[in-house]
Amino acid sequence: MHSDHARNAVAPVLLIEDEHELASEILVELRALGYSVQHMRSLAEGLAAALSHEAAVVIVDRMLEGEDGLAIVEALRNEGNRVPILVISGLSTVDDRIRGLKAGGDDYLIKPFALPELAARVEALLRRGETSRATRLKAGPLDLDLVERQLRRDGEPVELLPRELKLLEYFMRRPGQIVTRAMLLEDVWNYKFLPQTNVVDVHIGNLRRKLDAGDGRRFIVNVRAAGFRLDVED
Amino acid sequence: MLKTDFFGARQFRLALAFALAISAATVGAFGFIYLQVAGADIARVGAILTEEARRNVDASRERLAAALEARQTQHIRRIDYLALFDSSGARVLGNIPTLPSIPLDGRAHVVDGREIAAPESAIFVGERRADGGALLMGRNLQDTYDIEDTLLRALAITLAPTVVLILGIGVLFARRATLRFSTIQDSIQRIMQGEMRLRLPVSRESDEIDRIARAVNLMLDEIARLLDQLRSVADNIAHDLRTPLTVVRRKVEVALDAQALPAAAREPLDVALSQLDRAAVTITALLRISAVESGARNKGFRDVNLANVCAEACDFYAPLAEAKSVALTATLETPVWMRGDEDLLREALSNLLDNAIKFTPAGGAVRVDAKFVDGRPCLEVRDTGPGVEVGDREKIFRRFFRSAIGIREGGHGLGLSIAQTVAELHGFTLSVEDNQPGARFIMRASDKARARAVR
Repeated sequence: MHSDHARNAVAPVLLIEDEHELASEILVELRALGYSVQHMRSLAEGLAAALSHEAAVVIVDRMLEGEDGLAIVEALRNEGNRVPILVISGLSTVDDRIRGLKAGGDDYLIKPFALPELAARVEALLRRGETSRATRLKAGPLDLDLVERQLRRDGEPVELLPRELKLLEYFMRRPGQIVTRAMLLEDVWNYKFLPQTNVVDVHIGNLRRKLDAGDGRRFIVNVRAAGFRLDVED
Repeated sequence: MLKTDFFGARQFRLALAFALAISAATVGAFGFIYLQVAGADIARVGAILTEEARRNVDASRERLAAALEARQTQHIRRIDYLALFDSSGARVLGNIPTLPSIPLDGRAHVVDGREIAAPESAIFVGERRADGGALLMGRNLQDTYDIEDTLLRALAITLAPTVVLILGIGVLFARRATLRFSTIQDSIQRIMQGEMRLRLPVSRESDEIDRIARAVNLMLDEIARLLDQLRSVADNIAHDLRTPLTVVRRKVEVALDAQALPAAAREPLDVALSQLDRAAVTITALLRISAVESGARNKGFRDVNLANVCAEACDFYAPLAEAKSVALTATLETPVWMRGDEDLLREALSNLLDNAIKFTPAGGAVRVDAKFVDGRPCLEVRDTGPGVEVGDREKIFRRFFRSAIGIREGGHGLGLSIAQTVAELHGFTLSVEDNQPGARFIMRASDKARARAVR
């Protein structure tokens, strides 16, 4: 967690949220993770702060005192501002989500959500630039060739099913980053909801067993209340 | 259907009664005209005969013979029969065989044709002669019969088309009424099956049926409004519970993280945490149902290959089935294209698969099929679990319903509600049958959905 604090300290987050309790919970959560958070309560305030180009990530609620927070997203994009934006919303119909992403939002989180989920999304948006597009991914002893569709651990080939390969690829593109179950469901399997059973954990368990070299090293670790992380920084 | 047929029959019977009444009235009118005309004709002929008989009562035999000759050919004052009988009743001359049984009082009497050996009846006038004999003059009723024939022909010509027309209109009205009632009944059935946005058809005629349909529609609007209100209240409660739950959850977590936590406090706090998570999952699922329900119908629908959705879902659930030693297979021979929202269909199928795997014991099997049945897209999920009791087969789709087994297995009791909501959004029906053993969930396009797809 100390490395997280050091990295996040330089990342100012702008939160535009008029719901008092939710805002204070978000502030506590993000500040505990080391972010410096600026909080604005209205559309006008939020827009002014967002246009000042200081934030590394903007979190905006769609419902701001009866106004649609998407106006801020649109204004920023019209300015040519590419700052990552996380839209949070109580409006959760399929159309609402599509509209939110079309307006220029980078991620869309539907209320109610768990705070670690929000934190993980913010981290993902901040580190989006680092996400590798390479077809050869290396993390510690793991070496994944996406062209050959072959994983090697310490040079030894490891047989993976296509679905396991897809899952591992997602982790290897985001080493050290917290990945929630919802993120895996959305990005790996296109599931925009949480299934009732812990299917994701079963997938992770299978992948872990395949990666296990029998030496007690766990590459994919659980992060309590949040999800998982590929941990290979030895 | 029975009711509408009955109504149709009623309409037709009404038309039939109307046709009968019209026929009776027409026949009555013609009868009256006939009696009047015939009566007038008989009176006219009677008057002529009376006058002729009086004038010729004592004419000589020779004159009478000549008159008989002449009058039979003359038209206006034509006399068909002329006879002279002596006082003993024997015929002296004339063209009737015997003396007809009428009084010789110089008045007109109708004599039956048989009495005078003629095909038609006739009018006769008899006068007593001074010599004691009897003079009889008569004319047959051919003219009157002709009038009768003409009138009957006219009646037939008038009445037949009228009756046909009335019955035709009756059939038309009956069929229209049947059609309107069956469309209304159809709509009501669909509304009862949950298509709450549907309304009864209202025609342009604003008759009684339309007035009732409008009233029912207003009632449905009101019900829908109340349901929406109820739902939004429920949603708001669910929504507002979320923030306090989040806060409490955080506090519990902080307490669990504390170094100085007494060992006795750990277990209750762990239970509290898991119960809070359960509440959160329920709230999420509830809000999810309203989100799907309030989604604009058909908006954002694309061509979706249902077989593809199934293949992906099976791939996703394979590890879970494997972990439970349940054989998960999919029969997906051909692409099954339909209009729909892929994300929602995936969610519905996921809930069905989730349940199927959950309820199937180790060594059992879960099978997924996507196919066309009667040209309609159809999705089936079969398992070899305990199945669904007959009495529960409707109830399991209700919110929060959990069978005895469902309660044992946990779960929020909303998975099938979500699946059904998604099915309805697509114009599909979701039902459960016996898989002998196990449950067989069938999601298939209703007639209307197929009609939409074809168009």
